Amino acid sequence: MAKNEHLAQIITGCKDGDGESFSQIVDIYSGRLYGYFYRLTGNKEVSDDLLSELFVKLVEKIKSYHGGSFENWLFRIASNLFYDYLRVKQREKKLFEYQQQQQLELEKPPFRQDDSERIDKLQVQLVKLDVDTKELIMLRFYSQLSFKEISQMRSEPIGTTLSKMHRGLNKLRKLME
Amino acid sequence: MDEQNHENLREFLEKFLVPTEAEQAAEDIHNGEQMLSGYPAPQPDEMLLASIKRKMADALSYEGENNFSRMFYKIVSVAAVFIFLTVISLMVFTNGGTEKLSGDLVMTAVIWESEDIAADDANLATLIAQTEEIESEMLALELGENGGNVVGSLTELELELEEINSDFWKG
Repeated sequence: MAKNEHLAQIITGCKDGDGESFSQIVDIYSGRLYGYFYRLTGNKEVSDDLLSELFVKLVEKIKSYHGGSFENWLFRIASNLFYDYLRVKQREKKLFEYQQQQQLELEKPPFRQDDSERIDKLQVQLVKLDVDTKELIMLRFYSQLSFKEISQMRSEPIGTTLSKMHRGLNKLRKLME
Repeated sequence: MDEQNHENLREFLEKFLVPTEAEQAAEDIHNGEQMLSGYPAPQPDEMLLASIKRKMADALSYEGENNFSRMFYKIVSVAAVFIFLTVISLMVFTNGGTEKLSGDLVMTAVIWESEDIAADDANLATLIAQTEEIESEMLALELGENGGNVVGSLTELELELEEINSDFWKG
């Protein structure tokens, strides 16, 4: 509760145009949002750009936030940004080539067994999921929103969300074994 | 992962699956999410965060300037409308100003002030007839049916307009 009150104060500060409040929002959410973008794109530079764009958008749009779950609102912007990025990439017909190239690179035999190799293993398998399922799994994991909120955000029935999540995670687990 | 979000998972799933399947599905989802926790994504570096904060500060000052401009233009627009309405009101409701106004505004004001409806109707009928006559003369001028004397015709038309104007206001 105290955490929520603290967040509410920060958001009020943001709405008043206080730079320090925006800075605090970056400190609180940058890790989770970066993880979300990184897991979906598998590229550090793209994730850097998307994260920057997201926070600049936050400054422009904060007045349109009228209460409710801030995570929901923030990750909705993040999700829209990701799909915008995807559309641009598809238009340029580079995404497919990039993913193939990335997959080939990631499938090279690991140099040594360490943490980065473990991270890459998940990234390799994530590429094998369709974008929609991958986005759903990462949205749930990084936003920490409830399934009800996620289904509302995605404008689909909760049964569909749960079914996609169940199938997607099962597939991912099998791929990881 | 926030445990609160797992609270109703089985309950939700039981709406679509039989209880044993719902329990299994809830466990699968939970295990899948646990697996993801074992693979943390990289974190943004400090330089990126500093750059983001700078960009936000820039966006913030730009927003501030924009808000000021928007407010300024809004005030100017409101002031312009107010001045325009004030000028129109002064011209309509003060003596002597009526002559400078367009026909519609003046006629409206005169008819509202008049109590002799029959006389007003007659005046209006005369005015309409004269206006129609002038329109036909203008049309003739445009079509070149005046024998080529454009200057003469315009002067004649002008005199006619002045005459109508003075006749109309005399009543």
